[in-house]
Amino acid sequence: MENDRDNPSKGKNFDLMYDRGTIKVIICACCIIILAVVFTGSISYVITRNAMVDKLKNRDMLYIVQSMSEKIDGRIERAQETSLLLADDPTVLAWVVSGGKDEAAGEIVKTKITDIGKNYDYVKAFVASTVTNQYWEDNKVVKLLSKTSYTDKWFYKALKSGKKIELNIDYDSIHNETFIFFNTLVGDVRQPVAVAGVALSLGDIAKEFGSYKFGEHSNLWLVDKQGKIHLADDLEYNGRLASDFLPTEVMQQILGDMDNATARPKVLEYQDSQGRIMDLAYQATATTDWKLVFQIPRSESISILGSVKINAIIASVITLLLMVVIFYFISYKIANPFKRALRLAEQMEKQVKLRTHELAEKNQSIMDSIDYAKRLQEAILPTETEWAALCREYFVLWRPRDVVGGDFYWIRKLDAGGCLIVVGDCTGHGVPGALMTMTVNSILNHIVDNCFESAGQVLAELNCRVKKTLHREDENQVSDDGLDIAICYIEGARLEFAGAKIPLYIKRDGQVHVLKGDNRSIGYRRSKIDREVCRHFWDLETGDCLYLTTDGYIEQNGGTKDFPMGRKAFIECIAGQVQGAPFIKQRESLEIMFEDYKGSQLQRDDITVIGVTF
Amino acid sequence: MDGLIIEQTKSTPKVVLDPQKAKLSIEGQSYPENAFKFYEPIFTWLDEYLDQLQQDVVLEIYFHMPYINTSSSKCMMMLFEKLEEAHEAGKKVTIRWYYDQENEIALECAEEFKEDLGLPFEIIPLNDEGINNGK
Repeated sequence: MENDRDNPSKGKNFDLMYDRGTIKVIICACCIIILAVVFTGSISYVITRNAMVDKLKNRDMLYIVQSMSEKIDGRIERAQETSLLLADDPTVLAWVVSGGKDEAAGEIVKTKITDIGKNYDYVKAFVASTVTNQYWEDNKVVKLLSKTSYTDKWFYKALKSGKKIELNIDYDSIHNETFIFFNTLVGDVRQPVAVAGVALSLGDIAKEFGSYKFGEHSNLWLVDKQGKIHLADDLEYNGRLASDFLPTEVMQQILGDMDNATARPKVLEYQDSQGRIMDLAYQATATTDWKLVFQIPRSESISILGSVKINAIIASVITLLLMVVIFYFISYKIANPFKRALRLAEQMEKQVKLRTHELAEKNQSIMDSIDYAKRLQEAILPTETEWAALCREYFVLWRPRDVVGGDFYWIRKLDAGGCLIVVGDCTGHGVPGALMTMTVNSILNHIVDNCFESAGQVLAELNCRVKKTLHREDENQVSDDGLDIAICYIEGARLEFAGAKIPLYIKRDGQVHVLKGDNRSIGYRRSKIDREVCRHFWDLETGDCLYLTTDGYIEQNGGTKDFPMGRKAFIECIAGQVQGAPFIKQRESLEIMFEDYKGSQLQRDDITVIGVTF
Repeated sequence: MDGLIIEQTKSTPKVVLDPQKAKLSIEGQSYPENAFKFYEPIFTWLDEYLDQLQQDVVLEIYFHMPYINTSSSKCMMMLFEKLEEAHEAGKKVTIRWYYDQENEIALECAEEFKEDLGLPFEIIPLNDEGINNGK
């Protein structure tokens, strides 16, 4: 019952063991996977960001400012060339010098001015004459120039400049547009007759600026010496001062570089008033004093990384989930046999417990039965009182190999005088041997009670009766059992001995005499029913000691070679006993010698040794 | 006829019955719980073998048994009787019994067997170096 109560709790333990094991493995693996994904993700994010920033600063921004400034320069150079072509045209000179009277030349010039204005995406082409003070534009005289007019100041300034070509920037705050006039002197530079040229609107370039709109908050400005923004991708910046939007030190750096027109583009970064990191690139244009400035917030330039980041995180999470799920299934598959093994072990344990319990119970009942048998066997052995009535001193060493055994000893004080001492060794040990001893004991009692004559007669009679009892002359029986026996009959000083394979040892004056008895056992199938029994006689003297031993003692294996101990050792031992010492001490020395010889070996046979002195 | 080999255990000897070489050997201690059960197959084999044993073949038997318990010695006696019968029937059987010189019980045992038997029975002592006497 106790087992049944134990088992459910055992089952839980195994479950717990299994669950803990699996969950631990899964958690551990997930942590490793998460760590690995986060680690590789972070590293690749940092690497990508650095690469992007590097590319932005060293390539993209430089490319933008470079290409924009080239474009502007190209535009301006082309406009200069056109202006020079117009101013150096002999027809124009001829027409101006003639004071407009050369009609043919006038027609050509007027057509040219119109053509240039219309077909070469300039705002206009113009010719302003010192002869007529007429300002021609678009095939007609737009106005007459006057020295006093503020708006005509540019004309007189150009004439006096002595420069073949001069750029005049005119910011039109009404249209919020900047025009560049290319004032080119006609005729001798020292005595020019007219100023001709084209006007270019930066608005066209502004459209191109728009195409470089990198991010929502990126800016591309064309800034003049004073830091005024002439052109911006976002029109609202036009006419404003760049210093309104950039920190002073950045502004100073940009303007400080102003003189160096051939300088390569430069990149710098700063933090704006809102704390955002801004990347800024600038380059001077080759043809003007202007400077191209391009700036973009770092967050915007790497904004693409944001989506990369989000995508990477989504991908990582999906991968992670997938791996966890897959890993869970794999580990479940792995854990399953483990679980089964645990279950099996549990069942086995149960079974073993049950069987052990059953065996223990059976063993207990067998042992109980044998213990009881031992009491019965011991009951037939002589008591101390019987011994005391028989002899002066004695010892008995009776030690069955198992709880019960096939050895026995038997004594009887006869009513008619004299006594019998018998030692027997029945075939087999344990329970079968014990059964034999009971049988033989009873037959022995019967013989002695009814028809005792002599030791020899008892031996012969015992042979017949055991044979009859055990074998009944049935030839088919496999069993063949019998016994070795020694029978001593003592009457006064006369000792008669009859033995079957158990000799009698008599010690007198330190000498041991052996009466060997017959060489054959009794009671066996092969034992002759009419066998002759050899009777030995001995005249006892005071101090004679008689010893009987079964083969269990002398044939015990042990020693260095694991041989039987031998008869010699036994004889030497009893010969060595001190005469007159307490008789019981002899038993002790026999036991000590036996144990010493046996060593770690097991007792091989039942042992009976008897010593008697009268 | 097939041979018979029984491997040695702690309580039973090694038994080799070789019909080709006409040899039987039993070596080792013999004290099984049930001696008859152990020796029965040997008896059966020997009966069969002795039946067909030719007159001119000499069956050589040798023993080297340091210890024989009582019931085993009864079985040995039965075995010897079978050999004795064959011997009386005119078949040639020789027995050699080896014993370790220090083992007096084995010698006693052999002498007791020999006493009862009429067939050639040689008792040969062995010392630590092997055969001391005889061969």
